[in-house]
Amino acid sequence: MEFPAALFPSYFGAGPPREEGGPALAAGWGERGQVLEGSPGRRQQAQPAFVPRRGGTGETWDPAEAAAVPVLPPSAGRWIPSPALQDILYRNNVCRKLRAGRSGATLDFAKQLGHFFVDHPEDAFGSMGRLLHKNFYLGNSKLKRPARSSTIRMTALMKDIDRLEARRGCHRQHLASRLRWFSHLCRDWLFEVPLGLLADCLHEELLLQWSDLLFDDSLTGGALAWLPSGDAGSRMGRLVHPGGQAMNHLFFQDVVLEELPHGRGCPAQFELSGRIRQVAAARVDGEDFVGVRSDYHCGVWRVPGRTGSAPAPLQVIRTDVPASCLTVSPHLPGELAVCTESGTVYLWSVETGLQQLRHDPQTMFFRDHSPWRWSDFTAHPRVLSCADRTGLQCLDARAPKKCHFDLFKVGEEAGCQQGERVVLPMYLGRAHPSQYLVTTQFSVYVLDERLPLVPVLKWPHMMKAPPLFAHLMPGDPGRTHKVLLGASRTQELLLLQYRGGSQSACQLAGAPQKLHSITGCLQHLPTQLPHHHHLLQQRLGAPAAGLAATLQKDRTCETMLVFQLSEAGDVFCQRLTHEAARPPAPTSRDEATTAPGSSPLFEEPASSPLGLGTAVLRYHRWLKVLFRGCRKPSQRSLPPSLSQRRLFTRKDLEGPTGPTALQRQVQQWLRQVMREGGHIQHWEPLALQPPALPQLPEPEGALDLLSTRLTAAWSGDWEQWWEDRTSFSVAQRQRALRERRRRQKRARGRRSLSASFTSSLTYQSELSELSDAGPPQLYRGHPHVLSQEGSPAASSPLPGSPPASPAPDEALLSSQSLRCRGIPKERRKTLRDYLSVWAEAPPEPPELPGSQASQLCIPSSQSQLSSASQTRRKRPRMGF
Amino acid sequence: SSHEHRLNFKKSKEACLSYIQDAMLQKQWKRAAEFLTCYVESLEKDYSREPIGPSEMIWRIGTEILCHHSHSSMKEFNCFMEQMKTLGVKRYLKVCLEHVFHLLCNGQIDEAYQNLSLAESWRYGEQTAIQDKEMKLIQAYRGLLDYYSWSKQKNILLEHGLDGFADLSVEQEMHSCFRKAAVNLKEIIKIPGVWDLFVKCYVDLLEFYGDHNEACQVLNEYAYNSKFPANPNAHVYLYQFLKRQGESKKSLISALKILHDIVPSHELMIDFNTMLQKSKKRKKRRLGLEVIFAALDYAGWKENVKAWSCLARQVKQIVISKKHLDWIKQEWNSRKDWWPAFHFSRYLAKRNWQENKSLSYEKALVAGILLGKDCKYFKYVSHQGCKAQVKRFRMLKKFVNRHNPVYLRISG
Repeated sequence: MEFPAALFPSYFGAGPPREEGGPALAAGWGERGQVLEGSPGRRQQAQPAFVPRRGGTGETWDPAEAAAVPVLPPSAGRWIPSPALQDILYRNNVCRKLRAGRSGATLDFAKQLGHFFVDHPEDAFGSMGRLLHKNFYLGNSKLKRPARSSTIRMTALMKDIDRLEARRGCHRQHLASRLRWFSHLCRDWLFEVPLGLLADCLHEELLLQWSDLLFDDSLTGGALAWLPSGDAGSRMGRLVHPGGQAMNHLFFQDVVLEELPHGRGCPAQFELSGRIRQVAAARVDGEDFVGVRSDYHCGVWRVPGRTGSAPAPLQVIRTDVPASCLTVSPHLPGELAVCTESGTVYLWSVETGLQQLRHDPQTMFFRDHSPWRWSDFTAHPRVLSCADRTGLQCLDARAPKKCHFDLFKVGEEAGCQQGERVVLPMYLGRAHPSQYLVTTQFSVYVLDERLPLVPVLKWPHMMKAPPLFAHLMPGDPGRTHKVLLGASRTQELLLLQYRGGSQSACQLAGAPQKLHSITGCLQHLPTQLPHHHHLLQQRLGAPAAGLAATLQKDRTCETMLVFQLSEAGDVFCQRLTHEAARPPAPTSRDEATTAPGSSPLFEEPASSPLGLGTAVLRYHRWLKVLFRGCRKPSQRSLPPSLSQRRLFTRKDLEGPTGPTALQRQVQQWLRQVMREGGHIQHWEPLALQPPALPQLPEPEGALDLLSTRLTAAWSGDWEQWWEDRTSFSVAQRQRALRERRRRQKRARGRRSLSASFTSSLTYQSELSELSDAGPPQLYRGHPHVLSQEGSPAASSPLPGSPPASPAPDEALLSSQSLRCRGIPKERRKTLRDYLSVWAEAPPEPPELPGSQASQLCIPSSQSQLSSASQTRRKRPRMGF
Repeated sequence: SSHEHRLNFKKSKEACLSYIQDAMLQKQWKRAAEFLTCYVESLEKDYSREPIGPSEMIWRIGTEILCHHSHSSMKEFNCFMEQMKTLGVKRYLKVCLEHVFHLLCNGQIDEAYQNLSLAESWRYGEQTAIQDKEMKLIQAYRGLLDYYSWSKQKNILLEHGLDGFADLSVEQEMHSCFRKAAVNLKEIIKIPGVWDLFVKCYVDLLEFYGDHNEACQVLNEYAYNSKFPANPNAHVYLYQFLKRQGESKKSLISALKILHDIVPSHELMIDFNTMLQKSKKRKKRRLGLEVIFAALDYAGWKENVKAWSCLARQVKQIVISKKHLDWIKQEWNSRKDWWPAFHFSRYLAKRNWQENKSLSYEKALVAGILLGKDCKYFKYVSHQGCKAQVKRFRMLKKFVNRHNPVYLRISG
């Protein structure tokens, strides 16, 4: 490996960053940096020739289309946008004016708490409401004397509340004395959940969401990968991307690279039980290894290089703390680097398992609060880099404690600014074995590990959001290496070129270039109906979630294809053509500004009419599918009703040999009740045969509150239970609640991804619970049973006890699973009673979303349905 | 009100800037230039206290546009730069330096020199730390240009010297260039930094005038001062100097040993290995084996025939002599769990055989000895070699088969 004979001059100082200054819009322009003598050998003849560090000539790549074009049809099912600013922030005119001078956001805490009370009145005030309902009067007329002593007229209170609403923002609220009096009186006992605790939890969650909204580093690295075909000259490739409503399906989609790339055939699909945050890929020995990271699970797939060969899942690991990084070794097959937010770095080998390289919850060079960690490979297969927000260190996996050196420090060494932090490090091995890329929110650096701490290249990238994604396209000798940088929230895409590293020093080549963002196509689309426009705006404006690119060489021209993934699961592509090989095309578009609706994409003749046609056609088709998809859920959003015909087939109701005596009796009951329109609570269960009753679940140790209450209600001695409960000490209630909250937090997102792998390993390195990882075969017999463990309110089995797997019918009857299916509360009991009677012939479950076609592609062992996508249909509200 | 006015002005300024930015990032230089003419207005009411004020923006953006705009000329560029220099006192030196860089890249060495001299004489109140650094750089670059004119005159003199005709004035001018260059170059290389270019020139000057001690001291300081970054070139320059001076093997080896310690993957490691292999001392030959093994650990050396033949030669030597097999064993111990997959996979055997037969020969020899005759790499290559009836592959197979017990000793 050659090292440049001379490097560009630079100062070297140690210590904290000295330069002040925030993000500056023009910081990247106009500088040459330094100069160096270009070719020292030829100095004898004439004057020395100098080359600049920045601003040398680069290659010219021109966009072929006016906007990015969708590659794949929009994913079926409605996309649930993540919370936006206006969902969280407090927006009040009065407040805004008052705070105009001050910066800082106010979280709308009251609104979120209000959401909770409105959406979950049962959970919030259920038992008290029922106990007290005699004491509340809802009518308008005046109360009579004997009742007046123990009854409150609610209409008056409601009026006061309305008045308060009208005066929102007014500081003189003491006028509503009745409300104050009421709230003062019942603040302590009206709520099922202690209000202080609830508020604490909610506030914590709001802060979490808010910080995610400002900068979500869980997406670092991006969830899109391009696997080029193994055969040289092939025009095929494979896109690996997440999809589905919860972004928990992994797709391997074959793509044909023609004028515009398009998918071919049905993608191989894997359902995982967590949102996919990152997809990383590397090619070793002609095979691609694809690493997939979700919060608590990391998995690795092997994809043979031949086109059309099926991807094979290899292994999965589970972590207790969310993983923040997963990178695949470009040197050795089946080796990956994993980091968790607890500050642990592992070398993960499919053959030998996990090896912990470092565990340090503190950051390396100075104190920073962020738990984000990253690791990547270097030129030496046994040396890994570890990064946190303060810098990068390289350590030898054979002696990680002893052998390490600092590669990059946020400080004077690299000429950093104050407040600068590492955002994404990336090994540039395909361009040069010892080069490294580091991006911060201000600048992008190229490092050479043979000369640590001194960046061989630095350039302020001027992007509005920190670049979370990067992609390298190495150039042949004599050509430039291309680096793409991508930001998430702003969808920015920037193309940089650089050269050098071995014979000559590194130089930035040409001016950086902005590529189309996904939202950019909005102005080129024909005018839409307002609600369609709004939907489109929301969909196209979704934050970017990944970036991939490939260079395609043809006889006459060279094209660059850039793929961009959005959080909605859409994959867009744009084509750039290389100037040198391109036939002269009209580039007069350069100066034209485009008005909405009148765009070169749709009207102006472009360089190739075929390309224009396909792009427009692609858009039309995409829009059609998108709008068709968005119409469906509006029908679906009606409260789901169960018709008798759906529940029971005619045959079930009549029976081939005529109903038995019991059945006839039940039918009679049923008819009678339906005729009366009465409550099913009047059903007398005792009249039925004992076996028809679902068994009372045995109270096993510490059941949670909800279960005990339900149990009590089920057996009829609910009032007694309430008596017991009121004597429950408040402290105990709080403890129980805290426990529940903690469990929920832990349970969130940690569902068994392992179920979708043929071989699954569990490492106990970070106290992985062994209890809830049943072998995948367990579910094979009942593929449609919704297991209880996924639903948020379910209690996890006690550690040590055998996994409590309820019988299918019981699971079907549990109130959680019924709620999951959208069955309204008042009908759940009806249904439960029906089902318990007809236990011998369980009815077909309501149809589950997910088309037949996609299921065919899932290998049989992977067809287990997780409940993740079921429970998340509702738009998430803060904290609940 | 004035506050509102300021706010609006700021807003429109920002909008204008974002238009410019957008145009530049899409390489629409003409459009950007048009917007820039509007932005110049912001200079009139420069209320900002931001680190990069409008005048710096205009300098940066204007320079960039002039570099890429199809209708710009060098004259316009110089004119623009002169205006920019007067716009801000704080940035004067920086703008000068960038202007000089631009001139140098366009081959206008004399104009650059004039600009440097002018900038050097600039004085304005107390200098900040950054300005101090910039001034040092300006002086250094002037020293560099002095060095170039020195070397030009030296060449003239050497040519004419051969004719037996020496021009006194040329010689005098050359010496004055030397003095000017030496003073400035000496100054900058004292400060911690990467000064490859300046160090090389300074050492060249010193060597020409026979001041080898000073040259040696400068190079040692550049390589070993702990305040300087660990620059491999510093060690390379020292090694090359020592070689030119005809220093002993021992001092050359010790210079390369340090380079090996900081950059085991440096290209000079081949030279180092051959030097060590020739040595009569056991310790040195042992180090040679270590060096070549360490170099081949790196991905960049994977397909380096020279390195593999070095390793193959030394391993073969050891196997034939049957002495020091433990050296191989020790080196192999820390690599046996990953070298087979990294270097000796079946996939690589196929590819190496197709692309580079001599590489696959050397690697097969090493694989055969380290992993035995049943190793995939060796089996594939020797099979293909025998099939193609190449003599040396048949010899290779024989050699490995004969020495198979060695493998057992190494792996055992």
